[in-house]
Amino acid sequence: MNAVLQKAEKAEKGALKGAIRIEDVVKIYDPEGAAVMAVDHCSLDIPAGEICMIVGPSGCGKTTLLNAIAGFHSISSGKIFLDDELLCGPEKPMAQPGSDRIVVFQNGALFPWKSNLDNVAFGPLMQGKLGKKEIYDKARSMMADAGLSGTEHNFPGEVSSGLRRRVEIVRALMNEPKVLLFDEPYRALDSLTKSVMHEALLEIYYKNKVTIFFITHDLEEAIFLGHRLVIMSSRPCKPKKIIDVDIPHPRDYSVLTSTRYRQLMDETIELVHEEAKKAFSAGEKEG
Amino acid sequence: MDQIVTLLKRSMPFQTVPIDILEAIAGLARYESHARGDVIYHQGDFADDVYIVSSGSVQHTLGIGFQAIHPEKVLHSGDVFGWAAVLDNQRSRLAKTVCMERTELIRINGEELINLFRTSPETGDIVMSRFATMINKEYTLPEEVAGHVPHFTQVPVTMATGLTLTMFRLSQWLKSPKPYLMFTGFGILLATWYLTVEVWKLPRFADMPGLTVVMKEWFSKDPVYGLSIYTPEYYQHIWVSVRRILIAFFLATVLGVPLGLFLGWSKTFREYVFPVFETLRPIPILAWVPLAILMFQGSETPVIYLTFLASFYATALNTMLGVETIDESYSRAAACLGASKWQTFKEVIVPGAMPFIFTGLQISIGVAWFSLVAGEMVSGEFGLGYVINTSYTMVRYPTIVIGMITLGIVGYTSSALVRMAGDYMMQWRVRELALGGR
Repeated sequence: MNAVLQKAEKAEKGALKGAIRIEDVVKIYDPEGAAVMAVDHCSLDIPAGEICMIVGPSGCGKTTLLNAIAGFHSISSGKIFLDDELLCGPEKPMAQPGSDRIVVFQNGALFPWKSNLDNVAFGPLMQGKLGKKEIYDKARSMMADAGLSGTEHNFPGEVSSGLRRRVEIVRALMNEPKVLLFDEPYRALDSLTKSVMHEALLEIYYKNKVTIFFITHDLEEAIFLGHRLVIMSSRPCKPKKIIDVDIPHPRDYSVLTSTRYRQLMDETIELVHEEAKKAFSAGEKEG
Repeated sequence: MDQIVTLLKRSMPFQTVPIDILEAIAGLARYESHARGDVIYHQGDFADDVYIVSSGSVQHTLGIGFQAIHPEKVLHSGDVFGWAAVLDNQRSRLAKTVCMERTELIRINGEELINLFRTSPETGDIVMSRFATMINKEYTLPEEVAGHVPHFTQVPVTMATGLTLTMFRLSQWLKSPKPYLMFTGFGILLATWYLTVEVWKLPRFADMPGLTVVMKEWFSKDPVYGLSIYTPEYYQHIWVSVRRILIAFFLATVLGVPLGLFLGWSKTFREYVFPVFETLRPIPILAWVPLAILMFQGSETPVIYLTFLASFYATALNTMLGVETIDESYSRAAACLGASKWQTFKEVIVPGAMPFIFTGLQISIGVAWFSLVAGEMVSGEFGLGYVINTSYTMVRYPTIVIGMITLGIVGYTSSALVRMAGDYMMQWRVRELALGGR
C-alpha cells in the first residue's frame, strides 16, 4: 500500500492535466417544437486529477452534460473548458470528440468483432502515432498490469462482464487521456461484481492519475469512489449540493463499514431521495 | 475390460489410439464408484491419477488464479479430468471435484500412463496433444497451462489443429441423436410420397410419378426419358444453372453490399436512392421477364439478369438494416479513440453490419434459385428450370421430379456454403453463440 501511496503523491506533484470548467451551460432539446430544458445554467469546476461523482436520479440530464463534454451533443449556451482550452461555447456549440476525453459507456462499447488485445490497441492504431509493434507491446503490458493477461486473444463476448469493463478502461488509458468520462458503467453488474470493479478502478486510478467524471445513481458507489459528490437536481439538471468526501485515499472496501462513510450516507440520502421522487412524479424517461 | 476400452474410445484424448495400446491402457485402469456429494480431490492435493467419468456427473471447479475463462464445468460420461497428473510442471490438483450424483469412474495412474507411452512415443504425443487441446478448449485454461503436457518424440507437441478438432466434432455429432432424427424426417417424407402415390393411390395422387419410378429413372443406366445420373446432359443442366447462379450471386454481392453500406451510412444518399429502391423492390421478378428479354440479347443474359435482380434487393436491403442496427456507442467510442470517419466506416460499420450482411446473403442465394428457375422456364436452352418445364410439355413426368430433387440438393449445398463462409469470417460470433449453448 505504501508504494501505491508514494506513487500517488509523485503523480500529484507533477503538473496534472485535465481540469474541467463548466460555465453556465444550458441545453434545451427542441423535439416537435416543445422546448425541454435538460440542463439549466449549470456551473461546475473540477480540478485536475479529481474523481468527481455526478449523482442524480435516472433521467435527470446528467448524461446530457457528459455528452456535451465528450462532443456527442451540442449545448445551447454557456462554455466548457478543458485546461483553459475552450471545448464548446457560443461560436462552437459542439465539441470535437478526441482521445483526451474518453467515454466508458453504460452498456460497454468494446468492439465484439475484435479480440481484447485489438480493442486495447485500437486508439493508438487509428491515431497512427506509434509503430504497430510498439503499440501491441504497450497494449500487452498494460493488460498485464490490469490483471488481464491470458485474455488477449479472446473476444469480448467470451469473457465475463466484469473483465470486459476492465478491458474497456485499459483501452481508454492506452491513449493517455486527460479525462475519463464514465456513464454509469457498472449499472448492469450485480453488487458483488460491482464491489470488485470499484476496487479495481481505484487501483488503476492510483497508477494513472486522470480526472474522472463519473455519472451514477448509486450513492454507495459515489461515496466509495469520489473525492467529491455533485448532487444534481432533477430535470432541468443543475448542481444542488456539492459534498466533499473527506475519507483519505487510497481506499479499500473497509471504508464501507467506517463511521464517516455512514455519516456521509445519512447526509446525502435524503437529498437524493427527494430528487428521485421529483423525477418519478415528473415521469421522465430514463436516459 | 471391453467396457473400459469402449469408454476410452469415447473420450477425447484416447479416441484415436490403436486398439492394442488401448487395451494396455485399460490394463492400468481401476474402477470405482462414489455416492452423491463425495469429494474426489481438493485443490492442492497430490495429483496421482487421471480420471474418466463412466456414468453419473462430476462438478469440476478450477481454483482462481489459473485464468480459466469458465472455472466451473460439469463432467459427464466420457469426460476426462484430473489431468494435472500428466503435466510435467504440476503435481498438485488445480481444481476441486465433487460427485453430483451416484458416479462411476475409472482412474489411471499418471506416471504409469506416461511410462506406457514411452514405449510408443508417436501415440503418446497424439494423446498428449489432445490433452493439451482439451485443457485449452474445454477447460478454457490459457495455452501456457496446456503446454506442459510431456512429449515423447523429438518433435515438439502442437495443439490439435482444425482437422482433428473437426473430426472429433463430427464423431460427437454422429453419437448425438441429431443425425438419426434427421434421417427419420427424410424417411417420413419419402414414406408419405410412396404410400399416397403407389400404395393407396389416392384420387389426385394416382397420376403423379411415384417414388420407385423416379428412383429407377434417376439411377438408371439407360433412362426411359433420357435423363439420369449416368447421362452427361444431367450434369450439363446442373452446371448451366450453377454457373448462372454464380454469376448473378457474385454481381448481386459485389454491387449490393456496398450499396447497402452507403444507404445505411449516408443519410443524404439514402434520401435519393431509397424511395426509388422501395418502389422497384415489390415488383415480382416474373413481371420483369418481358422487359428482360427485350433489354438483353440471347437467352443467357436475361436469365442472369432476373436472377441477379432478386438477389441484389435482398443483399442491399439487409446490409442497410445491418448498418442501421449498429449500436451508436460503437461509432462514438471510435470517435473518442481518435478514428476518422473513414476509419470508423472500415473498422466499425463494415464488421458491425457483417451478421446482417450474411443473413442477407443467405436470403439472396435462396431467392436467386427461385428466380433462376422462373427465368429458365420462360427462356433458356439448358438448366434445371428448363428441364422441369420441357419435361412437363413433353410428358416426361419422372424427369420433372428428378429436376426438383436435384434443385433441392444443389440449393441446399449452395446455402450451406454461404453459411460456412459467414462462420469463417465471423469467428467472434461463432464463439459467442457457442458459449450461449447454440
